[in-house]
Amino acid sequence: MSHEGLEFAGHELARASLDACVKCTICETMCPVSAVTPLFSGPKFVGPQAERFRNGDSVDHSLDYCSSCGTCTLVCPQGVQIAELNSQARAVMKADHMPLRDKLIGQTVLMGKVMTPVAPIAKAALNNKPIRAMMEAVVKVHRDAPMPPPQGQTFEGWFRKRPKPSRTPTRGALVFFHGCAGGYFEVETSKKSVEVLEHLGYEVIVPKQGCCGLAQQSNGLFDQATASVLKLCDDLRAAGTDLTIISSSGSCTGMLKHEAHEIMGVTDDKLKDVGTRIRDIMEFLLDLHEAGELPTDFAPIDMTVPYHAPCQLKSQGMGMPAVEVLKLIPDLTVVESGAVCCGIAGTYGLKKEKYDIAQAVGRPLFEMVKKTNPDLALCDTETCRWQIEQSSGVKTEHPIFLVHRAYGLS
Amino acid sequence: MSRVVVIGAGLAGLVAANRLASAGVGVTLLTKGIGGLQLSQGTIDVLGYAPDRVTNPVLTLSAIASARPGHPYAAIGAAGVHTGIEYLKQLLPDLLVGDAEANYQLPTAVGAIRPTCLVQPSMVAGHLKDGAKVAVVGLRRLKDFHPALVAENLARTTLPDGGRLVARPVSVDVPARDAEVDSSGLTYARAFDDPAFRARFAAALKPLLGDGETVGLPAVLGLKDRTAWSDLADKLGHPVFEIPLPPPSVPGMRLNEALMASAKAAGVRVVNGTRAVSVRVEDGVVKGVTVATAGADREFTADAFVLAAGGFESGALALDSYGTVTETLFGLPLAGLDAGPLVHGDYWGPEQPLFSVGVRVAGDMRVLDGNGAVVHPNLYAAGGIIGGSSRWAEKSGDGIAVGSAVVAADSILEVLA
Repeated sequence: MSHEGLEFAGHELARASLDACVKCTICETMCPVSAVTPLFSGPKFVGPQAERFRNGDSVDHSLDYCSSCGTCTLVCPQGVQIAELNSQARAVMKADHMPLRDKLIGQTVLMGKVMTPVAPIAKAALNNKPIRAMMEAVVKVHRDAPMPPPQGQTFEGWFRKRPKPSRTPTRGALVFFHGCAGGYFEVETSKKSVEVLEHLGYEVIVPKQGCCGLAQQSNGLFDQATASVLKLCDDLRAAGTDLTIISSSGSCTGMLKHEAHEIMGVTDDKLKDVGTRIRDIMEFLLDLHEAGELPTDFAPIDMTVPYHAPCQLKSQGMGMPAVEVLKLIPDLTVVESGAVCCGIAGTYGLKKEKYDIAQAVGRPLFEMVKKTNPDLALCDTETCRWQIEQSSGVKTEHPIFLVHRAYGLS
Repeated sequence: MSRVVVIGAGLAGLVAANRLASAGVGVTLLTKGIGGLQLSQGTIDVLGYAPDRVTNPVLTLSAIASARPGHPYAAIGAAGVHTGIEYLKQLLPDLLVGDAEANYQLPTAVGAIRPTCLVQPSMVAGHLKDGAKVAVVGLRRLKDFHPALVAENLARTTLPDGGRLVARPVSVDVPARDAEVDSSGLTYARAFDDPAFRARFAAALKPLLGDGETVGLPAVLGLKDRTAWSDLADKLGHPVFEIPLPPPSVPGMRLNEALMASAKAAGVRVVNGTRAVSVRVEDGVVKGVTVATAGADREFTADAFVLAAGGFESGALALDSYGTVTETLFGLPLAGLDAGPLVHGDYWGPEQPLFSVGVRVAGDMRVLDGNGAVVHPNLYAAGGIIGGSSRWAEKSGDGIAVGSAVVAADSILEVLA
């Protein structure tokens, strides 16, 4: 192993937390994957236990069925970095036989760039059964798995071409990080985030930016992911090194805040700089509110809406800021899903051999969403929204949509 | 915005958060993991041994309270424990039954008889009487429960009221998941949530039961479906009781999930996944607690704080290699350090003094220093952080947690009002 990322994965950091494991089984009880399939022996077995026997490759290959949702680390009362250990061990395990599919589905920018100019065709292709069957056979992406919705215009295109905002900024500048999904597929989420920030009086700067490398990281491609995340740090720092960075891509925010460091061992100062300045947009709004600086002249929204907090948002250890912010909107009732995971876990649920597991993981959530409001659900991250929408049939939006609406912006 | 911050999501933290939030106060609950409550047996021990087996916990703890001023029950008082027990029963009416004045005596997974105060309805039939006939049923693919061990020990035991019983082991093999030869209790509990599985299980077990037998089963009779055990009893035509297992403990999970769900329903803001790392105190008053949120630390301010972070097992107390014990968040003064060596070498001897170390509290659960003065006017303690007792020997930990939590919550409500 000559790669820096894998060297780290083989020997470092999270292993230091191993001895804190008291084998209490709390992670086992909360694991959404081992709950629905015996193919995964569970986070404690493949993690703190198998790790003790690992010298290079893991001794428990059911590790490949871990979805990396991170729930085990979140619930552990002892601070064992179970999910991090497992992500590292899996990267080492897959290093010499990385499937082509796993290399491809990490290429999120490429997907966006290819699809945007031909959005209607891309959309038709992704909805076309024979094409999906072929995709399943050739690259092993399940034919029914949710796919990103191609858009006719990128966020960047909109941001450049739109009329200049009429309101003069009164609160200073913020940097907006949209992520690949927010740039190419979830363009509406990015637009609404920017409009809310501008409504609050901020000047929003959007530097040209690439991918955070999360999809590569979760597929074990640590070298490429490290290069991506460091390039992104350069991109974001180009807009200034003292501004708060705001993102409405919950999982990419997690990559910058802690995952690149904790899973891949990236110690570069520019990651530390970006990772400590970035805030999730709902987190940022809640901070404003607690400082008494968030206008709460919200128009009532008479609705009961299910909200699902994604795993990678929960793992940031800040609770569920969206729930607190949405509570400020009159007549709006937000029902937290209480579900552990939607199943998709980034790219896990797209994979042919894992699709059924991912669907079984998400089933209680899909049922809860349908029962609570058949017309609208809320969730902070892109792939989770696609999964919930595809599997429940309920339109699923970022919570910022309701803030945008309550401010009278839509 | 929250007026109270509760640190810790074990029994004490969850009860305090529930009581404060249901009174209309904004509460933020800070917790590293999801709390250790689900590792418990899902019952509420108030007082089991003093040192003899206890039948009336509240009555006996009153005696302890007056005889031992350093015991947590001296501060909480019988009235506080009584209030706590009644509150918990009212909060979880379909999950906990019992009486603060009477212990149940229930079989354990090694066939001993354990005194405990509140129990889950699925365990009540385990309070065995003289002349009982018991079939202890094991599942062949569940490795944590050995029916022969339980049955043989029960059969040679004299019950606390002097009676005797007859017990025999029975084994059945009904897979929880196809092709899985080694299933956890939790996997079985999820299977028992399914009525079709219960029907299959009852069909396999019923022919093996004899007339008049009470059926003891490992505590895996449903996680979400609270009627799973009674439905099974109906299908079998025999009384059924659950015997708690080592973790993963299904009754513990039921209790933990129910308390967390009611806390969230009452509006408690839960911030999970990160440790509380520092505090800000101005003029003696606690202003904020900072947690290590990813990216940047985050401070939570409030009018009052409840420290319910547990003891050594959760890192709220730490012992270094010099033998120094510290409370790791506030650096609070600790009681129980001056009783001679903290650890002695007699393994089977008296309780190790180390495990009675903890903070001392006033009658309103505010933390006291060595001179009996309040340390911070708005800092309250609940649960395992309070020193002065050997909880596992007394079986008093749950009663201390619940009692101190309601007393702390009520004191705070009084101050905030």
